[in-house]
Amino acid sequence: MSRKVQEMDIKKSKNIQFNMEWVQKYSTLIVLVLMFIGFSVSVDRFMTIVNLTNILQQISILTIVGCGLTFGFAAKEIDLSVGYIVGLTGILVPMLLVNGVDLWFAITIGMGAGLVVGITNGLLVTKIGIPSLIATLATGSILFGINFMLTGGRAIYGGLPDSYLFLGQGRLLGVPILAFFMIAAVALAWFVMERTVFGRYIYAVGGNEKAAELSGVRIVFYRTAALTIVALFAAVAGALLAARLGSGQPNVGERYLLDGLATVFIGMTMFRPGTATVLGTFCGALFIGILDNGLNLIGMDSYIQNIVKGIVILVAVAIVSRTTKLKLL
Amino acid sequence: MSVTLNNIVMDYSGNLALDDVSVTFGFNEVHGLIGENGAGKSTLINVLSGTVSPTSGDIYINDSLVKLGTPCDALLHGIAQVSQEGSLVPQLSGAENIMLGAEPKYLGSIIRRKDLLYRAERLLNKWFPEASISLDRSVETLGVADQKVIEIVRALRGNIKILILDEPTAALQSREKEQLWKIISSLPQKGVGVVLISHFLSEIKLLSNKVTVLRDGKFIDTLQVENTTEGNLIDLMLRRTGATKGSGEVKNRSFVGGKTVLSVKNWKAGQVSVPQFEVMAGEIVGLIGLTGAGHFGFVRSLYSKEGLISGTVEVEGKPVAGNVRAMQRSGVAFVPDHRMENSLMPDGSVTENLSLVHPDFAARSGILNFGVEKAEVVRIIDLLNIKTSSRGQLLRNLSGGNKQKVSLGKWLYGAENKYCVMIFIEPTEGVDIGAKQEIYRKIRALAKQGMGIIIASSDLLEIEHIAQRVVPFVNGFPSKEIFAEDFSEKRFISALSGENA
Repeated sequence: MSRKVQEMDIKKSKNIQFNMEWVQKYSTLIVLVLMFIGFSVSVDRFMTIVNLTNILQQISILTIVGCGLTFGFAAKEIDLSVGYIVGLTGILVPMLLVNGVDLWFAITIGMGAGLVVGITNGLLVTKIGIPSLIATLATGSILFGINFMLTGGRAIYGGLPDSYLFLGQGRLLGVPILAFFMIAAVALAWFVMERTVFGRYIYAVGGNEKAAELSGVRIVFYRTAALTIVALFAAVAGALLAARLGSGQPNVGERYLLDGLATVFIGMTMFRPGTATVLGTFCGALFIGILDNGLNLIGMDSYIQNIVKGIVILVAVAIVSRTTKLKLL
Repeated sequence: MSVTLNNIVMDYSGNLALDDVSVTFGFNEVHGLIGENGAGKSTLINVLSGTVSPTSGDIYINDSLVKLGTPCDALLHGIAQVSQEGSLVPQLSGAENIMLGAEPKYLGSIIRRKDLLYRAERLLNKWFPEASISLDRSVETLGVADQKVIEIVRALRGNIKILILDEPTAALQSREKEQLWKIISSLPQKGVGVVLISHFLSEIKLLSNKVTVLRDGKFIDTLQVENTTEGNLIDLMLRRTGATKGSGEVKNRSFVGGKTVLSVKNWKAGQVSVPQFEVMAGEIVGLIGLTGAGHFGFVRSLYSKEGLISGTVEVEGKPVAGNVRAMQRSGVAFVPDHRMENSLMPDGSVTENLSLVHPDFAARSGILNFGVEKAEVVRIIDLLNIKTSSRGQLLRNLSGGNKQKVSLGKWLYGAENKYCVMIFIEPTEGVDIGAKQEIYRKIRALAKQGMGIIIASSDLLEIEHIAQRVVPFVNGFPSKEIFAEDFSEKRFISALSGENA
């Protein structure tokens, strides 16, 4: 009799535990859905096809940056230069195009620039031993300077080929082309992180560097690779951003640093709390996108939006820090 | 005039760091506190210095009950501590460090520099008139011994009756040690009792009047130092009288035959020096030693080449250059101690942890096949009887024994015939008895399959139980090896005291 009661107690406590875990995993997702429903009900123009495709278009580039950052965070590396890498290719590609360079060649050069920055960041961190927070802060400052040097502080516009502008502004069957890029980026990043040995090693390096090293994982390679991938995704994002804006501007990349980090932090609160995941980051981008869009439609001032976003990041990081120790230095 | 700890129990969620310890420290004595790592010395002095509050037990100062909830409480009751790592601000001068937090000031905000130096020098002279240390230089430019003196003077700043010194000479050269020894032994005459923790038994013998031995969180004995020998102390620190085993099975455990799988020659790394060391296929070799004797350092340097000065290592007759990856490729597996820091990913799943070493086993051109992975993970979970609610369970939710099984299992996952040598450090640290037996059984089975096994452990009973040959380490050197037919605790303990039989 008493044993039966005990067993029931155990079952009950297991259920409670299960529920707690469930709540922890999906609470942010629920907030996201509630926010979506809330805006749909309270804001007239929110739940329209035009607006929803708008949101997709708005979050595409952010999501691509976030996917890259997810690799970095999974390996416990942060990249603060990411916004300026977006800026760099966002200038470089239109500059080359305006000067008559072939589209694919220009994009290749842009990717090459991202690759160089990424490998530099990676080697500074792994070979010289500068914490990524500081190394990328410095390279970010350098890129910021280079971006203004390249453009003289002016925007590059006019004479961009239609094929390029189509990448950023065109639609296929009513869906923005950018959204296809976003889906491709999410799918690729997800596949690499969740379904390949490479992804396992990235997670291993971030999960316990010492254990990974003693298990024979080449930690220098994977940490460098993680930071390189961050830069490559940012480079793609930059090329697409300039296409969307129809011009190359030296200072538009910056906001992708804060927003990109926010997507990852929000993503770290769900699915595998404390760990950056690609799907989490995607939800984080949706979160930011819907929040921005909804607040815009309500007519809230942009600086108040910044305050709201800052609070959202703080809440997300607070949740993450409660479950795991967030260590990036 | 004394402080008494009575029936102190410190329970870290089921893990008894201190189990009913009672001890009295006088204000007029140097009282040595010894025991192996994990014996409870640090916890005991943390209780005494108010850093942690015991689960139960009382503290009396001169027969009146006191409560030491914080280090500040302890200081007010005259108990101060100098920790092992040092707590000086390196950029500040000796005087500034001594007066840190109690600087004389004008108007409560501007430091009176001359007065500060004067007071610091007066303090130094009060305690150690023979010391000559320039207190106006930044402490990072001073020698390690002088820094220790400055820390001690600062600790003695209030009305201190008991000074706790945790391994004060660990970082010192022998000449500097003597200087500090003089200072320590002068304290009781000045009305300050010393609680001295040290791994150097000669130091304990030289300086203390009394010595208290702890083992596995339990109080063993307090002795007058003049009535004891170092051998006797080692015996008290290590002896485990509780579990005895039938001696019959041991006798025929001696190992015969087998080809050499691991051969080390002229190995020098850090403080460790091993002229020759060999392991045969199918053999279980135990490495024992007191803390810091080099038995852990040796195998660690073997694997990671940490601190390696010179030496060669051959696996199955082929020389291996390079560290972890080279050792791994040539067939050496390593299950380190402190599994949560060195071996496992706490936030990873059981599957991710088990597949950490050979994820490519379940992959084709780098792409994982979850079916293959699942089958192999299930095989390892069954093989080692790992208790987990699912393959996706986070590792940190497992019990200690099951974590240790994962730490071993990751070298078996997808590793059929890959390894011929397996090195363990503390294979059953923090593991319950049931899981312990299972791990021993698995290790024996691996040896039977032809692996050479090295186990470095601080648990003599464990080594006696599982090894066929034992290499004792003393001061960084391996001494004469002991074979299974001669195994006994007494034999081990005398070997660790450096007495060669």
